[in-house]
Parts: sequence; structure tokens; C-alpha cells
Amino acid sequence: MAIGNVGVVPAASRASLRDRMWGLFDRERFLGPLFVTPALILITLLVAYPFCMALYFSLSNAFIGRPSHLVGLRNFVNLWDSDAFRQTFQNAFVFTGAAVAIKLVCGISLALLLNQQLWFKRLIRGAVLLPWVIPTALSTLGWTWMFNSLYSVVNWTGIALGVMDPPGPNWLGQKYYAMTAVVAVNVWRGLPFFAITILAGLVSIPKELYEAAEADGAGPVARFWYVTLPLLRPVLAIVMLFSTIFTFSDFNIVYVLTHGGPINSTHLFATLSRQIGLESGRIGEGAAISLYLFPVLAFVVYAQLKFVRKEV
Amino acid sequence: MRHVSRRQFLASSATGLAGILATKTPPALGQQREISYLCWNNFAPLMDKKLAEIAVRFTKDTGIKVRIDHINAEQQPAKYASEVQTQAGHDLVEMRMHFPWLYEPQLLDVGDLVADLEKKYGKVISSAEETARVKGTWRAVPQYHAMFVATYREDLFKKAGLKIPDTWEDLYVAGKELKKMGNPVGIPINQNLDSISTAGPVLWSLGGMEVDKDGKTVRINSPATEQMVEWYKKLYRDCMEAEVLSWTNASNNESIQQGKAGWIHNPISAYIIAKQKKLPTADTINHHRTPGGPNGRHETDVPRHIGIWKFSKNVEPAKEFIRYHLGRPEIYNEYITSADAFNLPVFEKLQEHPVLKTDAKYAALKAEGVQYHCYGWPAPPSDKVQLITNSFILPIMLAKAVTGTSTKEAVAWADKEMKKIMAG
Amino acid sequence: MGSRKIRSKILSHLLLLPFLLFAVFPFYHMTLTSLKQDRELYDRHAVPLLITQGPTLEHYQKLLWDTPFLTWTKNSLLVTFLATAVSLVIGTIAAYALARLKFFAVASFGTGIFVTYLVPTSLLFLPLAQVVNWLGLGDSKWALVVTYPTFLVPFCTWLLMGYFRTVPKEVEECAMVDGATRVQALLRIVLPIAVPGLVCAALFAFTLSWNEFIYALTFTSTSDQITASVGITSELIRGDIYFWGPLMAGAVLGSVPIVILYVFFLDYYVSGLTAGAVK
Repeated sequence: MAIGNVGVVPAASRASLRDRMWGLFDRERFLGPLFVTPALILITLLVAYPFCMALYFSLSNAFIGRPSHLVGLRNFVNLWDSDAFRQTFQNAFVFTGAAVAIKLVCGISLALLLNQQLWFKRLIRGAVLLPWVIPTALSTLGWTWMFNSLYSVVNWTGIALGVMDPPGPNWLGQKYYAMTAVVAVNVWRGLPFFAITILAGLVSIPKELYEAAEADGAGPVARFWYVTLPLLRPVLAIVMLFSTIFTFSDFNIVYVLTHGGPINSTHLFATLSRQIGLESGRIGEGAAISLYLFPVLAFVVYAQLKFVRKEV
Repeated sequence: MRHVSRRQFLASSATGLAGILATKTPPALGQQREISYLCWNNFAPLMDKKLAEIAVRFTKDTGIKVRIDHINAEQQPAKYASEVQTQAGHDLVEMRMHFPWLYEPQLLDVGDLVADLEKKYGKVISSAEETARVKGTWRAVPQYHAMFVATYREDLFKKAGLKIPDTWEDLYVAGKELKKMGNPVGIPINQNLDSISTAGPVLWSLGGMEVDKDGKTVRINSPATEQMVEWYKKLYRDCMEAEVLSWTNASNNESIQQGKAGWIHNPISAYIIAKQKKLPTADTINHHRTPGGPNGRHETDVPRHIGIWKFSKNVEPAKEFIRYHLGRPEIYNEYITSADAFNLPVFEKLQEHPVLKTDAKYAALKAEGVQYHCYGWPAPPSDKVQLITNSFILPIMLAKAVTGTSTKEAVAWADKEMKKIMAG
Repeated sequence: MGSRKIRSKILSHLLLLPFLLFAVFPFYHMTLTSLKQDRELYDRHAVPLLITQGPTLEHYQKLLWDTPFLTWTKNSLLVTFLATAVSLVIGTIAAYALARLKFFAVASFGTGIFVTYLVPTSLLFLPLAQVVNWLGLGDSKWALVVTYPTFLVPFCTWLLMGYFRTVPKEVEECAMVDGATRVQALLRIVLPIAVPGLVCAALFAFTLSWNEFIYALTFTSTSDQITASVGITSELIRGDIYFWGPLMAGAVLGSVPIVILYVFFLDYYVSGLTAGAVK
């Protein structure tokens, strides 16, 4: 075990250019920035620069194919006058709040169940992951077919089971039902992400803590509340962060299922932005709609991460 | 490690560049010119096949290669916006309805091409001219149109002894009976274009309009609008089911195809698909002339045009393609015929096209006394008018009205919204 | 005691049932739809939960033979593999640097990663199209290989950062004392240990790439360049006609590659998240 010998040979006797170059790579100060550079270039060129352009759009009267000039915050201010936008604002919070809350509760429950000793563990975990895995554009079409007013399997099943009166709720045609439907599809798609990530967090909680709690006389609920939940907090925070961001900016589900209707009751920022920006040409306003929540979300990200950092 | 990753990164883009250069025919090499054409996935797939065929013949005759790409109609706005933004993309591009107004600064003046076609085939029909001619300049060449028409279950009407509706009021009368028979009327009232496609004709037939001819004054707050809203209310109550509030563009087709709806308002796509899929309802579906009202018979039209982007580097070959594809009567005829009457010629002299005789049920497409318009008529389809259409103000007003809002309130809301859009 | 364990096991399975039904039922329905004859599909009195008039493979045939579906799938696979590979490489070295090496701006870079997710792709795609065009990659699948890492690298980096932090420093230091350079230590010591994390990041990247739609729509046009989801929705939704049979067939076939991958690597995925997510 010649541990120390090789490295102790004086550098001068082996000093060739190549070696000195490789020596450079051992310096953290050099290697660190070097390793980070590709990611930095990628993000700068393909995210930061387009983002600045998008920001410019939102602060200008940009219209497809026409020259534009800056107008300051006019887009953002005028949006607030719009009925459709105010409704969208409300929808976005309702949609995200409901969807994330449901995914959180169901995700924790599902993770707890998956953490048990199960038969067919692999199969069950695989089945649970399915909604996350299928391309969204196609799965949403599947759901459109399921909610189809003429052939709705959801209603057919409900009527067959006796829980609904024919013809069953008008899922995509009534205000609150439509929101329920899109939230349901979002939960269906996002639940696996929650469940598997929380499961990963659960798996890493040492069993000794549970045993100690049990020895102290804590029942299963108390064990969950005082052992599991606190230790899951970092995972929960991260998962909720990602999910909130993705859910707020969701586009496909609403666009395919309801196009924002009925009566604008399911419009989200992304879908309204498309309607006004791309389809009608007003990319300035469209960008403003998409970016409306950026400051809020940025703050939320910052706060969450500070919180997570402190915990760890 | 770092070298590998950088190299990998650069290599993949380098290979990419090489790949592109290899597939794209170098322009200066001999006489090999190439143009590209972006169009929608035609409802009639055979028409797309015919287009590909025509392109091959064009290449043989002129040596210009044509690359044709298709996208979904719904994906067009995103794609066009990015082509305009990057000032690169295709040469020829399909312009549906009022798109020429939206992309006007980016489209080439094609007045010369249209003049040629008009010399051969007669004037362009009004709905196509209103949309392809922007402030006096032709920004796209009209190629065909698909109009809406009343589609109904002939057998049910016969069975119940119902009169074929000649006015929208007649429809209400017949609709009541149809609903009792379990085959309600199917007109969508939702945030999609089909909803506007029916609301428009009804409003126009009552003498109403959204925005006036001057393109500035909002005229939705009028007795005609109130009449329309009242009509929709009673139709919804007595002749339709609540599901129409959730319908998409496809739903009315599907409803009549599988035997539920007794009457819908749609282009003949519903019938054509029923025929193709050999559904039991195919034999029972027929069309009749659009119903009218006190102010005449008006119908929604969907004309489609071909435009040339200003940034195109192959303007002359692109124009040649249009001259070949639309300008040669035998080719244009072949093209139209392949669509099974779904897409019809937009020129006056070709209105009695033989394809209409291929099926007796197409007779209604050649109906007398029907005026065809696009969304927003009579206002020219400027950006603001298009925004009114894209915001679905008309269907939302109707949805509000049929679900409980008072007529006056609903109309006032539409008026307010439209004025807001027109103002800024 | 044994029977109590069995009873709680059964209870767990029973409680899992609603979740499983909820997750799997849409697939069942989609698969069923893809196998139903048109006649039954458009029959509003038919039972939607079963095939009563005999299954048919015509939708799959239409999809596979009448459309360039295989080309699209090939494109999707190619783009996804390459984008995943590129993102993994970039993410790994960035994560290693952030987790191990001390240099300025480490902390802010870590936070900055998340900010990139705040800008929705439905907004970014338009200015991004200009950049892509400027790079000479307009209208080809290579544009996707270059742009997909923008939303893959941040998560991969974050995940691997957490994972690398769990690899004990001593292991590397041992190797470096033995004469290995940092790079060699990374390659030969750290990476093998971090395989579960790498697999997890790869799977996540693969899923997001496979799923992606808007960039694929914008940056590719020719039918021999487009990816599966774009192709299927483009070709099988024409005007106001949805070809439900082949559409659902496309949805089923479009999920197959990923499902296969996940079945094989599921355990890695979970254990990879275990270390990465918690730190």
C-alpha cells in the first residue's frame, strides 16, 4: 500500500506542460468555474437571453411581425381592467391551490402506503408512475375522450354505479365542474411525482427513530406527526416548490379540455397568454400575462430555499 | 471530462449543421431551386395527397423542388409567430380566413397573381376578398373555401312530418319536436369557433352585427342582438341539451354521426366522415339551405389562401408554383375534386363545380340567396376585430344568457368587453 | 402476530386500490378505445368499459402504416437520448462543482437554478426561436437537442448536487492522496457510487424530453423531423375531426418506450431520489 509515496515525488522532476496542465485541473478555483461553465453558457444563451427578450416584449407593444417600442408597465396595468384576466388570476390560484393541496395529501398517503411491505411492489410502483410517464399531449386527449359529453365513461360509470342521475354532470360545460375536471386531470398527472419523491424521503428516515418513538409510547398517528412529518419537511418543501411552479404555468390540460371555458372559468395564465398573444398577435400583452406572477414566484422560490437551507 | 462534454456539445451542433446543409439543396448549384410550403392538415386527406402529387408534377415540369409540410390548424399561430420572429422558415404559407390581416406587414403583395386568376376564373367571392385583400392590397391568393351549411337527419324529419327549416324561427319549431323525439338540436355554446359560426349567421339574419363597417363602432347593443339572445335562450331551453355548453368543434359532428343530434350547423365534414366510416347514420344525413331571417340569409364561410412571406428568398419560384397549382384550370379542378366537395372554388365562374354533382346531398352547397361572410362581418377583420373573435365574446355572452343571466345584462357585458377591446 | 401483519398488509393493499384505479384506469380506457372498431366507438349506446363487438387492430395499422409514426418515434427517441446524455454530462459536472468545490458564487448559482424554471416554455419559445435560428439550427431536431437541456439541466444539477453531497469526502480524498487527479477521482470513484442518482436524473430527463411539446412544435416542421406527440396530434386531428381510434393507439404506443425504461430502472429511480431529494 504505497499511499504517500507517489504523490510526494517532487513536481519539478516530472514537470512537462501536459502535467502542469493537468495540475491546473486539480485546483478547485480553476476546476470549479470550469465545470460550471457549460451549464452557465447553456442557461445564459438559451434561457437568460430569451428571458430578457420576453421581458422586453412584456414592457413593449410588441405585435407579431410589426416594429415595437417600449411602453413601460402599461400592459401589466391594463390587464387588470380585463374581465378575462381577473378571472384568470383567480382561476390560477384556485387551480394551483386545489391541485397542489390534493397532490400533497394524496402524495403523502400514497407514499406511506408504498413504503409498506407489499406484494408486487415493482408492479404497483410502476402502475402508480404511469400517469407521469405518458406524454401530456396524448394523455390529455385521452381525458378529453373520457369526459366527452356523448360517450363519457366517467358519467356512464357513475350512472351504472347509481351515484349519478342520468345524464350525469356536464363536466366540461359548467363552471365549477369544469374546474374540478381540470384539477382532477392535473392531480392524476402530478401525483406520481409527489408520491415517488416523498417515498424517497420516507425511505431515508432511519427506523431507529420510529422504534424509539414507539418505545416512548407513541401511537401510529403520533409517530407520523412527530417523527415522519418533521423529517419530511425538506422533501415536501422542494416537491411543493416544483409542483407549484409547474402547476401555475400549466397549459396543455386546460387548452385541450376546455380552451379556457366555460365563460373563462378555467383560463390560466398560459392559456390566456396564448389566446391574446399568439392567436391575436399581441405578444406584448401575452408576455405580460405570462410574466405577471414572476416576481411573486421568484420571491416564493427564494423564501422556500432559504427555509430549506436553514433546515439542513 | 470537461473536454468531452464541450466537444460532445459542439459536435452535436456541428453534426446538426452538417446535416442541415446536406439535406438542403445548395441554391447556387445548377438550376436546382427549392421552395417550401407550410399548410394545414387538410380535413380531406386526399386533398393533401393530391397536393403532394401536384408538387411532384410541378418539379418535373419546372425543375423547382417543392417541400410541403403540414401542421394542425390549431398549431398554426405558434408556428407562424416563430417564423415571423426569426424571419426564416417557409416560402409559401397557408393563410386561413383573416390571417392575411394579422400578418399583413410580413406578406408579399400578390396582386399580380390574383389578377391573373380573376381573368381566368372570374372575380373572387366576397368572403375571400374581404379576408385576403388588406386595405386594398392582396396579401394572399385565395384558393378555396368551406362553408357552413345546415345538416339534418332527413329520416327523422320525414318520420315526424317536420318542415325543413327555412328561417331560424322554423328551426325552433322543428327543434322542439326533435328534442321530444330524443334527437335534440346541436349548436355549441362554448369557447370555440363553431359557436361563433352559428351565432354570427343568426345575428346577421336579424340585422345585427358586432362592429360596424367602419371597423370602429361597436354595435352589439341593439334590438337585433337582444332578439338573438332570446332566440338562443328558448332554443337552449326547448330544443337542446345542457351538454352543448361543453362542446368542442368536433362534438356536433360526433353527435349527429352517432345518431343523437337531429340538426347541426357545420361544414359537410360530418357527412363525409360518416360516409367514409360507413356509419349507420350516413344514409340519413342530408343538408339544406341555411335558414334566414328578416335581414336575409347569411352564412359563415371559411376561405383559405396562400401567402408568400416577405422574407422568402425564393419569391419567383413560389409565385410560379401558385400559377401552376391554381392558375392551370385542369390542375385546379383536379385539386378541388379531390376534396369531395368539402373545399370549393372561390372564383365566381367556378361556382357550379362538377364536384357538387358527385353526391345529391351536396346540392345545398349551391344554395340560392345565401351571403357568405367571415367572422366579424361587416367590420374589416382588423387586429381588434380578430381579438374580439378570439376572445369568444359572442359565445360567452350567449353562455351567460342561457345559464341564467338576463338578456339585457348579457348584452351589456358584451358591449362593454367589445368597447374595451376597440379602445385599446 | 403473523396474522396481524397479514391483516395490515391486506389493508395497505386495499387502501392502495383507489389510487391504482385512478392512475391506471385512463390507460385501460385508452387501450380499449384503440382496439375498438369504429362502429362500436361511435355507438353511443355501447358500453364504454368493454369491447363487445370484437377487437380490431385497424387503428394500430392505420397509425403504423398510413402515417410516418415510426419516423416520428425514431426522432423522439433520438432527440430524447441525446438531450438526456447532454444534460447528464453538463449537470453532472456542474453538480460536482457545486457540491464539492469551493469557488465564488456557489450559493447563488444553486438558487439561480430554480429561477430558470419560473419562465414558462410557452413564453420562452418565441425569443428562443430567434436564438436557435441564429445558431443555424432552425427547423431540425438538433435544435431540440440543444434547447431541451435548458429545462433538464437545472433539475439534474440539483438532484445530483444532493446526491454527491452524500458521497463521503474521504473516499475521494483517499484517491487523491493516492495520486489521482480530481477529475480521475470523479470519474473512477464518485460516479460509480452515484450511479443511482445518475439513473434517476437520466430517467427524469428522459421523461421530460419525451413529454415536451411546444419546442418540438416550433423548431421542427418537416414530417421526417417532428417528434411523436407533435406528429400524432397534427396528423390525427384534422379540422373538426378527431380520429379517436388511431389517436389512442398513438397514445398507447407513445408511452411504451418510457414504460419499459421505468420498469427496468424503477428501483434506481427511487433510491436515486432518496439521497438526492433529502439533502
